[in-house]
Amino acid sequence: MTPTTDRPSTKSLALATVGALLVAALIVFGAVLPAEYGLDPLGTGRVLGLLALSQVQPITMADSEYRTDVVDLELAPTEWVESSYRFEEGAGMVYSWKATGEVSYNFHSAPDGAPVGYAESYDAQVSDRADGAYTAPFTGTHGWYWENVGTEYITIQLTTAGFYTSAHEGRSRASGERRLRDARGQPLR
Amino acid sequence: MSIARLRLVASVLPVLALTLVGTVVSAHPMDDQNAAFVQSIDGPAIFPFLYLGAKHMVTGYDHLLFLVGVIFFLYKIRDVVLYVSLFTVGHSLTLMWGVLGDIGANAYVVDAIIGLSVAYKAFDNVGGFERLFGRRPDPKGAVLVFGLFHGFGLATKVQEFTLSEVGLITNMLSFNVGVEVGQILALTMVLIGLTYWRSRTSFLRHAFATNVVLMVAGFVLAGNQILGYVFYS
Repeated sequence: MTPTTDRPSTKSLALATVGALLVAALIVFGAVLPAEYGLDPLGTGRVLGLLALSQVQPITMADSEYRTDVVDLELAPTEWVESSYRFEEGAGMVYSWKATGEVSYNFHSAPDGAPVGYAESYDAQVSDRADGAYTAPFTGTHGWYWENVGTEYITIQLTTAGFYTSAHEGRSRASGERRLRDARGQPLR
Repeated sequence: MSIARLRLVASVLPVLALTLVGTVVSAHPMDDQNAAFVQSIDGPAIFPFLYLGAKHMVTGYDHLLFLVGVIFFLYKIRDVVLYVSLFTVGHSLTLMWGVLGDIGANAYVVDAIIGLSVAYKAFDNVGGFERLFGRRPDPKGAVLVFGLFHGFGLATKVQEFTLSEVGLITNMLSFNVGVEVGQILALTMVLIGLTYWRSRTSFLRHAFATNVVLMVAGFVLAGNQILGYVFYS
């Protein structure tokens, strides 16, 4: 079996292969190197504006005011508390909390205009601490639900720092019961 | 520009565009979100891994371009099945062996070899080995050997994440089956395209040029990975 029916001459074959290497080198050094690695040996990155692609932008300027909060939340056995914050889309915070015992918690958020009881849950576990950074995926209400699942009194110390516009502590609801559901309609644990 | 030349450009541009887009998107690491998901899994998760394997194959242009090269001149469906099976055996072996045996390799080196496998196959397709060296390396053996490298590439991608030992074998088998599902999907598209193109006279006229473009694509893929090795390893 011969691969091709019209077999090229040695000359055209060598030309094609060397040409392929040259074109590939041109693409790699002229486009990939400036766009991906910020190096511009041929000057093409500057001329074609490819250099800008390699500039990582690690800073997001904030529109809202910076605030920090440190709160102590006390929970009797079986008691629960919500800490909610107003975030604009893309705004973020760093947080850290420690509890004197294990609590069942859930970090969730609800976009503005969502149906009553709708929430998306990102982190739901039983633990006595969590540290992290959060960037709001949409404008709305974002925050924790904590529940004391033990038999002792528990204190949670929560530190938040970021660009939320308000913080709210909630221990009761108008309906008197908690009926949060996630995007799949499952009750939030 | 003559019509024939325009047609030629039209036929080779997609290959080049695919390569460029792929290169800019960088060599298909799993999306950050997928990565976070994979790391959070603790236990067997058949369908997520199946999906990830299939996605990797369908969006893995280096594997796709190699397959295009391999079946470019395979007219009989029996040959297509034979060569693709060899490729599958090759990459399945090293995928499982690499992950389960925890054998690490530099991903950039493996991906550079995968890029070169595309160029190799294109060079083989234009009769390069016969012409320049007088004999052609066994194409079946070559597909098997490059299949081994492609599998190793898959393994290094999966290994970039701290995988839980729980359900590892189930998950890896699922990933592998997903790779084959993705390969069948991709292959079907390529075969439809090639079969249609073969029915026209332009196929043989532009076969040489197309394989040269494939060679360029392979060299670009390899070059990109070599740069990655130089700058990130």
